[in-house]
Amino acid sequence: MTGTLRAGLVLGGGLVLLAIVGPWIAPDPLAQPDLITGTLQSPSATHWFGTDQYSRDVFARLAAGARASLGIAVGAVVVATLLGTLVGLIAGGARGAAAEALRRAIDLLLGLPRLVVLLVLLAAVGPLTPLSLALVLGATGWPAIARLVRGETLRLRETGFVGAARALGASPLRILRRDILPGAMAPALVAATLGIADAILLEAGLSFIGLGIQPPAPTWGGMILEARDHIASAPWLLLAPGLALVVATTAATLIGDALRHRLLPGTR
Amino acid sequence: MTDLLEVRDLRISFAPPGAAPIVPVDDVSFGVAAGEMVALVGESGCGKSLTGLAILRLLPRGAQLGPKSAIRFAGVDLATLSETTVRPYRGARIAMVFQDPMSSLNPVMRVGAQIVEAIQAHASVPFSTARARAIALLAEVGIADPADRVDAWPHQLSGGMRQRVMLAIALAGEPDVLIADEPTTALDVTVQAQILELLDTLRRTRQMAVLLITHDLGIVAGRADRVLVMYAGRIVESAPASTLFAAPQHPYTRGLFGSIPRLDGPVERLASIAGVVPPPGQWPSGCRFHPRCPLAVAACVATRPPLVADTAAHATACWVTAGSPT
Repeated sequence: MTGTLRAGLVLGGGLVLLAIVGPWIAPDPLAQPDLITGTLQSPSATHWFGTDQYSRDVFARLAAGARASLGIAVGAVVVATLLGTLVGLIAGGARGAAAEALRRAIDLLLGLPRLVVLLVLLAAVGPLTPLSLALVLGATGWPAIARLVRGETLRLRETGFVGAARALGASPLRILRRDILPGAMAPALVAATLGIADAILLEAGLSFIGLGIQPPAPTWGGMILEARDHIASAPWLLLAPGLALVVATTAATLIGDALRHRLLPGTR
Repeated sequence: MTDLLEVRDLRISFAPPGAAPIVPVDDVSFGVAAGEMVALVGESGCGKSLTGLAILRLLPRGAQLGPKSAIRFAGVDLATLSETTVRPYRGARIAMVFQDPMSSLNPVMRVGAQIVEAIQAHASVPFSTARARAIALLAEVGIADPADRVDAWPHQLSGGMRQRVMLAIALAGEPDVLIADEPTTALDVTVQAQILELLDTLRRTRQMAVLLITHDLGIVAGRADRVLVMYAGRIVESAPASTLFAAPQHPYTRGLFGSIPRLDGPVERLASIAGVVPPPGQWPSGCRFHPRCPLAVAACVATRPPLVADTAAHATACWVTAGSPT
């Protein structure tokens, strides 16, 4: 195992552990035990990362936020990868007008700024549940995967083993499924892993501007939003979710890079 | 002996938009009987690979078969079938192996899985049966430790072993005809001999018809029953291998033999055929070999020589030498 992969797994594993175990050992992230004297306390043995302006435990909110942020990001990437792989395979495997139309559709969707599409969508339908937010993020993320899979399908379609499979009587669908899909999955998996970082930041960004998960439910982006007014007096409010974001995106990028080295040798 | 596979008047043309049609294969007829090995020999670009691909209707996009072309196999004219109806023939009745065993195996699948895939593509057999068959096929193509190698990845095998695996995959559908397109070109010379030996054994034990497409006359000697020499899209000479090697008739065939170095005899400059093979579309009139032929006469320029049998089995398309003693 390379150092890159190990570092990524340690960081990512730590966050996953935080998301799974954290909420069991931390107090209720929504409880406001002492609004008179318990607000904006600095980190201590009882409140590891301090408390916020409503006297809520920051560690508890960070752990609960990890569940939301990581869950939404992973869900979004799974949706994007499934959709993108399916569309990419069809676009790469089909011929003629259908293939051309799909290619243009992918290019068109790639040309739309994802954040703007999300803003319009969320402004129109209003705040979403975590599950639908994951679906929406996935539905806007698939064109990038589809373009990769399409390109890889076009390349694999001309290889000797696809020609050999055709000569041995394999149907086009069988060739796509058995001979091309496994090879085309490698770049899709790498892109998906790297895409987790994007999805985490996107979700945090949406929550920060108030269009993502709504308060009081804790998310990292929402925590940063609430911490804005107290940057000088209680910097831990900002540091905790900020560092979590940095660690999460770094972990996804490191793992994605390590996967790329393993699955796609020769690329940088 | 009746032919299992019979190709008649095969003509393959490409019609690029706005340009004159190109006919890289013209008027090619031959047959292969069960258990027989026929070699189709010619230089690069003579149309021999296209001929092989045409049999399984695997021609590249834009290629068209001539209206009179027939590819008769087991009472069916494959030339008239559609892409869907020809598919059951591919692999199950007529199998094909290609030149490059490095790229013909899927790098992300274990070799056993690829053989199992080929078996299950043609017959619905349970996985355990298919896997046992895969191991048996690996043993048949001469892979040592087939029970271990069945789980190997393609990159763990040498070129010769990969070509053996390709043969095992081709045999998975129990084909009656095997088309081998330059099966040894990418391999070391010693491995070439082994693969040809294996092809020879397989056609004898399985009574399989083999069409061996190659540019190398040397590998044909002693293994093929019959040799078809192709030049510029046409068959110029067809003869039993022994006759062809003893007494080549067509000046092109003689030229080919002249360019093979001999172990006995004095060391001298190798004879070569003057000029190069013209590309399809620029083929000369009459006998297409005449610009390069040392024996050419006026008739060669004017009229195309037919492929005439001068003895029962030996046919030559030449105005000058056909029928005449060497």
